[in-house]
Amino acid sequence: MSDLILFFASNADTMIATKALKDAGISAKMIPKPASVNTASNLCLSIDGGAETQAKSALTGAGVALGGVIK
Amino acid sequence: MRVSLRVRLLGTIVGAIVFFFLVSVIATRIVLQHDLANLGQTQVTNGGGAFAGYWDSRKDQIRLLVAQDAVSDALRKSLQSNNVAALADQLSNIARTSGLSFLTVVDANGRVIARANGAQKGSLGSNPVVQRALTGETVSTATLLDPSVLAGEGLAPQAQADIRSSDGKASAEHIDRGLAIVAAAPISDQNERTIGAIYGGVLLNHFYDLVDQATAALGGASAILEGDAIISSTIQQPDGTRTVDQQVGPAASVLKTGTPYTGVDTEGGTQYLVRIDPVLDDRQHVIGARWYGTPLANLNNIINHTTSTVILWGTIAAIVALAFGVVVVQVLSSTLDQRSKQVRNAAKELGVAIVGSEVSGDHVAMTKAAVEKSAHLIDEIAAQSPSPKLTELKAVNEELHGDVIVIDTLSQEMSNRMQHAAKRVSELNEVAAALTQLVTGETG
Repeated sequence: MSDLILFFASNADTMIATKALKDAGISAKMIPKPASVNTASNLCLSIDGGAETQAKSALTGAGVALGGVIK
Repeated sequence: MRVSLRVRLLGTIVGAIVFFFLVSVIATRIVLQHDLANLGQTQVTNGGGAFAGYWDSRKDQIRLLVAQDAVSDALRKSLQSNNVAALADQLSNIARTSGLSFLTVVDANGRVIARANGAQKGSLGSNPVVQRALTGETVSTATLLDPSVLAGEGLAPQAQADIRSSDGKASAEHIDRGLAIVAAAPISDQNERTIGAIYGGVLLNHFYDLVDQATAALGGASAILEGDAIISSTIQQPDGTRTVDQQVGPAASVLKTGTPYTGVDTEGGTQYLVRIDPVLDDRQHVIGARWYGTPLANLNNIINHTTSTVILWGTIAAIVALAFGVVVVQVLSSTLDQRSKQVRNAAKELGVAIVGSEVSGDHVAMTKAAVEKSAHLIDEIAAQSPSPKLTELKAVNEELHGDVIVIDTLSQEMSNRMQHAAKRVSELNEVAAALTQLVTGETG
């Protein structure tokens, strides 16, 4: 499946989300924010498309607010 | 000069202990003085009352003796037969065995028929006590005996005295009257007609039975005053002799007002807490006083002993408390000092981390610049001689560029956060330094 881009409200949230996903066993790559995404954060996370549900669950568990998903 | 927390805490503890100690001692002393003064006043008041009881008992005893003698058949017969020699002999025997200073029989007109102390004639017709007895009344009272009466009874030398002032130095007055407890009773014939009277009593000047008896029973010291002068007492002088023929300062107000005095009086060089009660004659005139006192040293000894005991045990308690306080302060200050040093060491290490973060950030920025420069070079080479390998290199370089952007963003984020952390660490360091200075008094 193609990769998904997760974006957050701030760089700090992005960093915490990276750690939360890593702890949940989900591989996430931090990438620069695409120009089409409107957020204050300069970074986004790229994850495998099949891990969306698992990733959302992990982020909810970690208390990180997801800004949006770009497929 | 800054004083360390240790010194301040110890100073506060010592100050509190000393303050508590002083307040306790002063309060104890004040309360003791107040309570013991009240107790002492109650004691001397009670003692004065008991002394008055002995006085009244002696008065009743004299009244009883005289009243019994008045109804003696032997005396009546001698009086009726005018047997002066037998009468004088009888009176002498009665006075000697009953402890009376004088005993006199008068006829119905108050003329002296016989005396226990001699054959002096005279008249007691003007004597108010004898006058009352001749009207049929049995009288008992304290009274002042005039020199003429005393001379007639041969008692003038016992009463006469030069009185010293209350400080015992100057001669203040000369007295020739005598204070006596007297009684008089009518002598009646078989038809109950008054044929005379018997008059007797005890002269209290330089007579010590009454005061000795009271002192033996009550303790302390007692005295009898004629006017404001001691005429009999158990108050000891420094040389062991009795204090007598001396004025008593506080007695003047008792004589003047007839109101008892309770307070301090110094006699024979000793301070006494005293009760001075007025002595009244049968017309309710104040003619003398009864003095009863206990040495003030008794109360002062209790106060001083209690105070010294409080000081002794208070000092021991203060030393124990201080030793305990020193240990507690030492432990507390050492712990605070240790924690403060830990914080300062941690702050130092954090400072190194901050510097490292800043340096790393600079390096990432340089790396990003190098990757961007590399991208320009690849683009220039690809434009001159395109090849698949260059395309692949460009893709790799773009990926590398993306990663460097991420790293640079993270680095900047961390740098910002480190700036905040640096402020907090600086504040923490200042707090730790202030804490160290507070505890040890040392700066730096």
